Order: sequence, then structure tokens, then C-alpha cells
Amino acid sequence: MSSVELLPALLIAVPILMATVPIVLGLRFDRTGWSVTAITTAGMFAATAYLAADVYATGPVVHVLGGWGEPQGIGIELVADEFSALIALLVAATAAGLLAYTRVGGPRGNTFYAGYLLLTGGLLGLTMTGDVFNMFVFLEIVGLGTYAMISSGDGPESAVAALKYLILGTVGASLYLIGVGFLFMATGALNMVVLGDLVPELMAAEGEPTLLRAAFAFMFVGFALKVAQWPLHTWQPDAYQHAPDGVTPLIAALVSTVSAYALGRVMFTVFGPEFLTATPYLTEIVVTVGAVSVVAGSTLAVIQLDVKRMLAYSSVSQFGLIVAAYGLVTEVALLGAIVHLIGHGMMKAGLFVAAGIVALGYGARTVDQYAGLAGERPVTAAGMAVLLIALVGIPPSIGFIGKWYIAVGAVQAESWLVAGVIFLSTMLTLAYAARLLEKMYFTPASTLESPHAPDAVATDGGDGDADETPAVAGDGGRLADADRRGSPGAVSFGMLAVLVTVAVTAVVLGFAGGAFGDLLKPFVSEVFN
Amino acid sequence: MIEPDLLTYAYPPLLVFAAALLVLVLPRALGYAAGALSLASVVAVALFAPEGAHLTTTFLGFADIQPFYVDEFTRMVGGGLAFLGTFGVIYAYSSDAPRVMAAFALAYVASALGAAFAGDWLVLVFMWEIMALTSTLLVWHHGGDAVRAGYRYAIAHGIGGSLVLFAVIAQYAVTGSFAMVTEAGETVGMADGLPLLLAVLGIGVNVAFVGFHTWLPDTYPRPHFAASVFLAAFTTKTSAYVLFRAIPDGHLYLAYMGGAMAVYGVIFALLQHDMRALLSYHIQAQLGYMVAGIGIGTAIGVAGAMGHLFNNVLYKSLLFMAVGVVIYRTGENDLYKLGGLWREMPLTAIAFAIGALSITAVPGFSGFISKGMVLDAADPGYYGGPEYQALYWLLFIGAIGTFLSFIKLGYYVFLHGPAEYTVTDATTGQTVAMLSVGGACVVLGLPAIGWPVFADLLPLVDGVTVTEMDTALNPYSAGHLTDAAILIAVSAVGFKLIRKPLSKIDYSDPALIVNPATYYVGRISMLSVTELYAAVDSAVVGFVKRCYWIGNNPAIAADEAARRLPIVDVEERQPADGGRPSRIHLRMSIGTTVLVLTIVLTVILWLLVG
Repeated sequence: MSSVELLPALLIAVPILMATVPIVLGLRFDRTGWSVTAITTAGMFAATAYLAADVYATGPVVHVLGGWGEPQGIGIELVADEFSALIALLVAATAAGLLAYTRVGGPRGNTFYAGYLLLTGGLLGLTMTGDVFNMFVFLEIVGLGTYAMISSGDGPESAVAALKYLILGTVGASLYLIGVGFLFMATGALNMVVLGDLVPELMAAEGEPTLLRAAFAFMFVGFALKVAQWPLHTWQPDAYQHAPDGVTPLIAALVSTVSAYALGRVMFTVFGPEFLTATPYLTEIVVTVGAVSVVAGSTLAVIQLDVKRMLAYSSVSQFGLIVAAYGLVTEVALLGAIVHLIGHGMMKAGLFVAAGIVALGYGARTVDQYAGLAGERPVTAAGMAVLLIALVGIPPSIGFIGKWYIAVGAVQAESWLVAGVIFLSTMLTLAYAARLLEKMYFTPASTLESPHAPDAVATDGGDGDADETPAVAGDGGRLADADRRGSPGAVSFGMLAVLVTVAVTAVVLGFAGGAFGDLLKPFVSEVFN
Repeated sequence: MIEPDLLTYAYPPLLVFAAALLVLVLPRALGYAAGALSLASVVAVALFAPEGAHLTTTFLGFADIQPFYVDEFTRMVGGGLAFLGTFGVIYAYSSDAPRVMAAFALAYVASALGAAFAGDWLVLVFMWEIMALTSTLLVWHHGGDAVRAGYRYAIAHGIGGSLVLFAVIAQYAVTGSFAMVTEAGETVGMADGLPLLLAVLGIGVNVAFVGFHTWLPDTYPRPHFAASVFLAAFTTKTSAYVLFRAIPDGHLYLAYMGGAMAVYGVIFALLQHDMRALLSYHIQAQLGYMVAGIGIGTAIGVAGAMGHLFNNVLYKSLLFMAVGVVIYRTGENDLYKLGGLWREMPLTAIAFAIGALSITAVPGFSGFISKGMVLDAADPGYYGGPEYQALYWLLFIGAIGTFLSFIKLGYYVFLHGPAEYTVTDATTGQTVAMLSVGGACVVLGLPAIGWPVFADLLPLVDGVTVTEMDTALNPYSAGHLTDAAILIAVSAVGFKLIRKPLSKIDYSDPALIVNPATYYVGRISMLSVTELYAAVDSAVVGFVKRCYWIGNNPAIAADEAARRLPIVDVEERQPADGGRPSRIHLRMSIGTTVLVLTIVLTVILWLLVG
């Protein structure tokens, strides 16, 4: 077994084992969690990059655990192929990069970092697992890590949000497990590749494979909850809003993303396009769930007052787009879904980092409080603006590429519903992004709420240039205003560096549409051959 | 001597965009100089770069993408835009335009050039979206009124841009290629059916079809007056050129839409009293001539439309410049509050006169050549078919209306009464910009010397001969001059007639009637569209909010419903949120979610298995 083949196992085992280290060291030292995590995640990122390079050079890497030898349908297998390597890269990069935020921004403590490593290990496991049962196991590990992360917030609301996710997430995972049970009853296998061969055989043997269809229904509903599709999204806005600012980027960028990846894996590797298209109503259901989520999610985002909550609902809608793209079952749409999965994860991570920076350094949490941000914190505002524009899908940006491929796929499949939904989602995304942009760039700080500042009210925004706003705000003379300026010192260079890197990457990747296509081509064409 | 081949690497949008970044970092004078130089070099590139596709690459996984395509169309459109842009930057420099605005303006110019030089639909749609974005930023940057108008502008162009995007995708689905021109250089055009329909609607927003035009007079009068100069030239003209690429063979309905635009535009222009609003409606009217020429689709029609496009870039911006100087010096937008300014600012008055004489197509000025070509293309007496007889009269009425409104604008701003303001004339830079652009308008229209040069620039025209139809152009023939004389005579008499009934009212100021008429007709037609949209919008949002509220708070909703029934006794609910301002509660409890989950699962199982 060559060293590359060991990597998938190490990538999962090492972070989970390392999760115990901060706790053990915590018996003697106070602040070791961050260093241990930083070293581990940096090593993981390097290993993932090496693994990905190998995958894209020579093809999938398979690691068979426990000496099961050749795939017999029930062995434990870890697979890094073109699809999972890309997601693993996103996971490792986000987990490593976000540490630059948590070092100063918190949360702190050894137990927190133990949970952080556990979550990262679980995510990588979920990404690379090669059989459907272990997918459940990793789904639960990810869930446990996520509950711990969310509840590490200060207020009671965090605890409630974590509890809500705990119960609903477990129900979702259980539904998935029931689906796995049906699948095992029908085929006697758990390995994804083996299942992928057995499902068409079974379809040929029986005209109407009831067990398979039931299995799909349970798995899909389970994932719909995990991916936060409307109306099963209810855990997600609470979880994103009440999780600590340092945690939300990780959860928002990765947990739902990897669940959506798992859904794609189950749909395309296990069940396969043939089953998806041959079963009556199936694609219609998937497309409808996605399309409804797009519309409902973005409508809800438009009416939110809290920025983190708004971004959370935006995730509901963006994942709706991805699920709808899965439902189209064409090569280009699948490619678009994968690109959008990566792009959305990155952009959302950046946006939540920005929201954290603003909350920390400027004290603003609602859309109204963002007024005048551009003048006071130009770098943060610019980073956020770039990411918002990328999220709308204006070229050149990664957001545009994903949407473009999905749109092309929709037109190829002649699914005008999805084409219309993409159009509508762009409009609605523009609506909530523009609302925030207008507040940041064109509304002077705190003119609305300061009763003692007639001068400020007279400023019609016409000449409210950036350099003028601090004076206006200073005249506001309210205690709350002074509080709201926040503490710029709390924002470290590392935080801004992460934000700027993400924003620049989101734009630069906008030129890499062809590269994504080339990287993913082997996977996509194998699914559809 | 630079090899012409080297020019093919000077991708114009990139040059200008680099200049946009330089403006931000360099000292003001140097930055503006870089901007003007970059645009001047684009003029050179447009004139001398060899024909054909350059910088062909692979983009988004599609091979054979041509971002930089040069033929006689792109040469003319790109060159004209860059020429005007050069002087627009000089004008902005001497008009105290902020640097950030100049950077936005240059980025906007860069995207418009990108659209003009695009060799296929994919690049075009890319640039089209960026153009919408940068022009919105240019409007927004002024703040105040412009922010709201800019928001409406963004929404209009968001819708138009998405339609064009889908048109391009549909075109790809039908034809399997993004090609805009064949290898031989012939324009492909949008495929019949869905692509064509979407493209016409989407481009129609940008070229201000009647009914889709509300954004134009709404937005252009509001930003900085130097920004208006740029806005007036780029979006609409680029779009008119793209309209030709989409429909190279024309269409009868399109031609009549052009006629309708010409008449509608001048009527509303005549009713305006904000100077820039008047000019904005004239953009629509002048676009009407281009749309008509493209709609007729014959060689002379298309060549005339492109010539008119080129001229329009020049003189419409010249007019915005002249009016901008008036606003700059007096701070007044309302033409009835001005008067007699020719004594105070003779140079501006001359520039305005050149622009006005060009737009009204007086012989000797460039507008005469191109507008004459479009009219000839429609006139059954020359090259038009009998089905275009009505169109010819529409365009003729448009020409009269143009005369009337420019007599009105010139009369009230520069001639009427004594000067109410004591102001200095335009600054040096403004004068240079205005007279250079004005000079081009005069030179390109001069009998015998100037116009053959202009005709040679036109696509589909070689020397002064329309190659495809094998006929020589002759704008200064006796027939054409008679037509022009009739036009001028009718207009002069018409202006007298309009003024006379107005003077019978107590005050001889037409504002008394025209203002209310403008207010009721113009505003109502414009606002009714926006208000209707807002009403539908708020109704939908209200409906959605209510639905979600009920869906997410079934218990409270049931309470509320029960409370309204006379018999049922309902327990009072205690608000538990500390009396915070009312907001929609969207939290769904865990139990409810599990219930919903069960229902969803049941439905899906029933559909799949049942």
C-alpha cells in the first residue's frame, strides 16, 4: 500500500485522535487548543492538497480498511475521487483558514478546539467515505461536533438553537439510516460502487423496485433536512444566528455543503441517473423541493433584519439551487451544482467572517446598523461587497460560473421551471445584497436613530461622502452611538487577511470555469456514461 | 512605425480599465490624462487594427471565444465611443468631477467598448452585465435623488440583462454555437423563436422601446452632469449596435417600433422643462431612427442607422456637455428659469448650436447625412418599400418634433429675454472638449469635403457607394435639400403656432400649460408603471409574509381566527419578547418541524412508492 493510499484514513483518524490532545494537555496548560488545532489543520490541508494533486493526476485513490480486500459489498472503504477531493480541499482550507479568525475573535478554550477537530475529522470522513452506512456514522459525528460548536455560544439562545439542531438533525440522520436499511434489504450491499452496479440490475429484474424507491424517499427527506431545504430548514437560521461568530463560518460553509455533497453522492453514485430518470415523479420532486427552497429562502432573506439570519436564509435558497440542479440529471447541471457547492461554501464562509468582524469591531448586527460601514471600515466593507456581488452571480466570480453551468444545464434539459427559478433567485439575491450594499455605502452612519442631530438629518445623502460620516456620527451624541462604534482594536490583521483572501479568490476563480470543468470531467462523465 | 499586428494585442477594454484604476491612485491631472490617453489610443486601435478575430481563447469551457473582433461595424462603433470618451474625460476633468466618479465612468466605458468589440454572444453578455453594473455605480455615486433612480435603473437593467443572458443560452441551445459572425464576416443573428424574442425584449430595455423606456428619463437627469455625458453616449448606442447583430435582416414591426419611439420621444421631449430630461427623451427619439433603420434591414437602412449611431454619440454628448456647462455655471436645471445666456456664455451657445443643428439634421452638419439615409431607406420615393410609407411619415413627424424642441431649448436658455444670471463661460477644458466634438460634427457633414470621409467610415458603404445596392449616396441633391427646407419651414411655422395660443393666456410663458401637461401625462405614464410595479410588489410581499406568518405560527393564527368568532372565548396571550417593535415571528418549533417532516416524507413516499 503506497503512502498516498494511506492518506484518506489518516486525514480522518488524525483530527479525531488529535481532538483528545487539547483536553489532555488542558489538565496542565491553559492555552494549547489553538496551537494544536493550527498544526493539525495545517498538516491536514497540506495532506489534502497532496492527495488532490495525486487524484487529479492519476485518478481515484481507494483505501480499504480492516483487510477486507476486494470490495464485497459491505467492507469499509475510503475513496478520494475527483468529486470528493475538491470538497475535502474546501473543508481542509476552510478549517485551517478560519483559525486566523478564532485566534483573537474566539471562542476560546481547549474543549472548543477539541470539538473543532472532531467536526473537521467528521466532515472529511463524510466526504471520503465509500459506503452508505459509514456515511451515517460520519453524519452523526459531524452532527455531534456541530451541536458542540453551536452551544459554545454565550447566551441561552445558543443552547436552544443547539438543542433544536440536535433533535432535528438526529431525526434527519435517522431517516437516512432507515433508508440505508431498506437499501441493504433490497441489495445486500453497502458499498457505494457495488450498489451503483446492483441498482440497475435490480431495476431490470423487478419492474417496480418498491424497496429502492422507499429507500430513496427516506434518504432524500433525511438529507433535505440536513441541507436545510424549505420547509425543513427551521433549525438552520437559529443555528447560524446564535452560534458564536467564529463558528458560524465553519458551520455555514461546511456542514450543509458536505451534507449536500453526500446527497449528490447518494443520488449519482449509488442510485445513478438511470434510476433517477426512470422512477416516476422522482426528478419532479427533487426539482420542486429545490425550486421552492430557492424562492422561499430568498424571500425570507429579503425580510430579515439581522444580517447573520439574512445570510442563513440566503443559504437555504442557494442550496435549493444546488438541489434543483441535482434534479435536472444532466452532466452540465451536475457540474454546475458541484461548482456552486464549492463557490457558495467559500463565499458564505467569507461573508460570515465579515459579519463576525463587523460585529466585533463595529458592534453592528442588523442591516440598519451597517449604515456608514464603508466609511468607517473600508476593507471589511469592500470584502463584504465583493462577496455579495459574487453571490448575486455577477461575472467575473465563482458565483457566476456555478449559476452559468446550472442555467446551461436547465436549458439543455428544457426545464424552464429551473431556468425561471435561476432568474428569480438572481433578482431576489440582488434585492437583499443591494439592501446591504446601499446601507454600507450610501447611508450615512446613524442619522435615522439620533434625535439630537438635525444637521445629520438634513444631509440628504447627496454629499454624504465617506469622510463626512464620522463627524455626523460624532454629533449624534447618544450613548448608544458611542457603544456602536465598537472596538476596532479587537479586529486582528489575520481576520482581515482571511476576508480579503476569500474575496480575491472568489473573483479569481471566476476565470477558472474551464479548469473546474476539466477537473470534474472524469467524475461527471463516468456517472453519465 | 508600429506594426498593425501589434495592435491586436492592445485589447481596448483592458487599456481603459487599467486607466480607471490609475485614476484612483495617480494625482488628479495625471490620472485624467491617463484616462484620456487610453481612450485616444483605443481610437487608434479601432482605426488601424487589422480586420478579423483577435485574442481567440477558451472561456468557461467553450472554445473559440473572440473577445476582440474587428470589422467595419466594430471599428466604427468602438472608434466613435472611444473618440467621444476621450473628450468626455477632458470635460469631466474641468467640471470638478470627483476622481472616484471618473474611475466608475472609465470602467463603464471599458465595459461598453468590450461589448462593442465582442465577437461572440458569450463575451457580449458578459460585458453587457458589467456595463449595467458600472453604469449603476456611476449613477449611485452622486447620491441623493440619484440613489433611488439608480436602484430603479439597476432593476430595469437586471431584468433586461437576464433576458439577454437567457436569449444567448437559448441561442446556444438552438444553434450549438455562440458565434455572432460567420468566418466570412456575415452577421448570424439570433435564431427565430425563443432566442429572438428574448433578445428583442432584453435589448429593447436598453434601447428604450416605448413602454420599456421609463428608466431613461428617470435616471439620466439625476447624476453629476459630467456623468450624464457618459451615460448618454454608451449604454443606448452600444445596445442599438447589438440590436443589429441580433436582427441583421430587420423586421417590419421593429421598424415601426422605431417610428413609434421617434414620435413618442419628441412629444415627451417637447413637454419637458428639465433640460437633461428633454435631452433624455431625445435619446429615445434618436434611437427610434436607428431602430427604424435596423428594422428596415436594407443596406442603406443599416448603414444609415450605424451612421446615425456614430453621429448621435457625438452630438448628443455635445448637447449634454453644453447643458452641463449651463448647470455648472448657474446651478439651474429648469429651462424656463434661464434665458439670454448667449451674451454670457457665447462659446457654450456656439457648441449648443452645433449640437442642435446636427441633431435636427440641418444641411452642412453630420446629422443631415445619417438621418437622411434612414429617411431615404424608408421613403418609397427612394429605396423604401410601400409598406414603409407610414413609417416615413412617422420619422418625418419625429424630425419636426426634434426641431421644435431644440428651438424651444435654445430659445429659452440662450435667446429669450435678458440674461438673469451673470456667469462666466465654460472652463478651458470644457471648451476644448465641446469644440472638438462639435468640430467633428461640422467637418463630417460639410458638403463635398467632409461627408465622403464620413460615408467611407460607414459599414456596407465603400467610398460613397452602397456596395450591396450599387447606388451612390448623394445627400446634397436638390431633392434632399428641398426636403430639408420644407422641414425647417414647417418647424419654424410650427413653433410660431405653438407659441401663439399660449401667449393668449395671461402670461406668455408656455410653462403654464406645458408644465401641468408634462406633469399629468409624463409623470402619470411613468409613475403608473413604477407604482403598478410597487403595488404588485407590496401585494405579493404582503401576501407571502402573511402566508409564512400563518404557516409558521399556526397556534397564534388559530387564536386570532378564534378571537374574531363571537362565541369562542380565547385566553389572552402574553407577549414574551419585551415589547420589541412588531416583527414577523418565523421561528417554527421543533415539534412543528417534525410534523412537517413527517408530512413531507409521507407525500414523497406516496408519490414514489404508492
